[in-house]
Amino acid sequence: MKKIPRLLTDAAITVALLTACFVLCLLIQTVSGAHALIPAVFILGAFLTALSTDGYICGMISALASVFLFEFVFELPYFRLNFTVTDNLVTSVIMIVIACITCTLTTKIKKQEALKSQSEMEKMRADLLRAVSHDLRTPLTTIYGASSALLENGSGLSGVQKQKMLQSIREDAAWLTRMVENLLSITRVDGANVRIIKTSTVLDEFLDAALIRFHKRCPEQEVAVDLPDEFITIQMDALLIEQVVINILENAVCHAEGMTILCLKVSVLPGKAVFEISDNGCGIAKEKLRNLFTGYYQAENLPSDNKRSNAGIGLSVCAAIIRAHGGTITAENRKNGGAVFRFILDTEEAPDEQ
Amino acid sequence: MSSKYKILVIEDEKNIRHLISALLEADGYQTVPARDFSNGKMLYFSHRPDLVILDLGLPDGDGTDLLREIRKDSLIPVIVLSARMDESDKVEALDLGANDYVTKPFSSAELMARVRSVLRTAALHTGTGLSPGGVFTLDDLTIDYGARKVFIGQSEIRLTHTEYDILSYLSRCSGKVVTYSAIIKEIWGYSDSGSIKKLQVNMANIRKKLGAKPGKKNYIENELGIGYRM
Repeated sequence: MKKIPRLLTDAAITVALLTACFVLCLLIQTVSGAHALIPAVFILGAFLTALSTDGYICGMISALASVFLFEFVFELPYFRLNFTVTDNLVTSVIMIVIACITCTLTTKIKKQEALKSQSEMEKMRADLLRAVSHDLRTPLTTIYGASSALLENGSGLSGVQKQKMLQSIREDAAWLTRMVENLLSITRVDGANVRIIKTSTVLDEFLDAALIRFHKRCPEQEVAVDLPDEFITIQMDALLIEQVVINILENAVCHAEGMTILCLKVSVLPGKAVFEISDNGCGIAKEKLRNLFTGYYQAENLPSDNKRSNAGIGLSVCAAIIRAHGGTITAENRKNGGAVFRFILDTEEAPDEQ
Repeated sequence: MSSKYKILVIEDEKNIRHLISALLEADGYQTVPARDFSNGKMLYFSHRPDLVILDLGLPDGDGTDLLREIRKDSLIPVIVLSARMDESDKVEALDLGANDYVTKPFSSAELMARVRSVLRTAALHTGTGLSPGGVFTLDDLTIDYGARKVFIGQSEIRLTHTEYDILSYLSRCSGKVVTYSAIIKEIWGYSDSGSIKKLQVNMANIRKKLGAKPGKKNYIENELGIGYRM
């Protein structure tokens, strides 16, 4: 089914380019008589054909047709094929050879480009997997180690020690839960068939649910909320956008050192809702700002101390989710300190009746 | 606790089954553990529990089928337990008659709170815990069903006819997640493409009048894409 239209469009492109070259050559011939330009125009035509179609066959056909047209129309004797003239034969052979080489080269370049983007995707996946397995191993080590210590020499440990170990088990398990949620989201938005299910969601219901979930995870962190008064609904996959908000808020809690105020503000532009999450912490380092949403994890960026940074994955999940919703996401440092994350989603039209 | 509630725990994962049983027993409930579909069904009919905690992913059958069979038999509360469910799964379970759901991994405090809430509602429905004079109270919110009036503390909250109907319906299902379609059916009796928007607008007004602030504990919880819980 897909093959036929592709062939048809290729044929159309070939014919169109050939015709264009032919008309151009006729013009050159009649207006200026610059005969030497004509083979060059035809070679350019064949090259463009090879570049804009599926490759070989069309380019070759175009090259042969060019030679034929050139000999037939533009070379003496006009409107007759005459390869007995040595000049004509040599020009034809040279044209064919050049056309063949350009065709081969363009197809090669195309193939290499396809391979390159594929290997880039693979590299990203590999980076992500490497980062994930590194990030998973750390909390698992804690959970495994602490629980075995409690089981095997529980009697030798003091109450405070036991309490501490249990606490770290719980913290790391909670962290693993978040990681798994993020990975599940990636599998939903990544790839060809995006599995997001958009429903009409009321803005303040959504923020209420998201903030309650955030407070469950970070009970100590207050969030100052600033919402518009209007009744706003947005077509969104609420579970996924909820994760975006929570990831950004948690990112601030984990990384914005010295933060005292965390703000969530939503403002309305015509047809758009702008979500803004800002803090007054230490801001984001310049070299990190560039790759913040790509999830690019370089080995030297991996945390060497005990502090883990799932930010790379969390924020790249955010970007993937927002992109899948047709929105945009940005991050920048504020002039008077701290960072601000902003994402924009389309709003629905206001309901006409109460 | 004067009479021990009997709770049937149907969960195939041994560790989770033990954990839930231990938590429940620590709070003074009596537990009946079941490891799969057929075992759970048998124990349900032989033990007649007061509450069922049901894992949906069972090795020998679909938990929702068991939920259907339980609902054919009685209205006893059922809390559904499952690994990350989609909204549609939750709506399906609730519409099949589950009283609540808890997603894995859950915190023990949350599960216990859900258990208490569901048992409280069940007691209300069997008439044992109903307040005199048809009055509903939740923290400082009071609904007087007879006079159709709503108060926060001493001050009356003025609601429209529809807003009152929605609030009173939610309060009568207190503790349970009520799906959008269930509310629409109850209030308007029919459902069309615009009715969910009508419900959302009414709910926004109710929240405003009750002085709800996003992210703070409210009288009504939002279950996104599913419904509301009071």
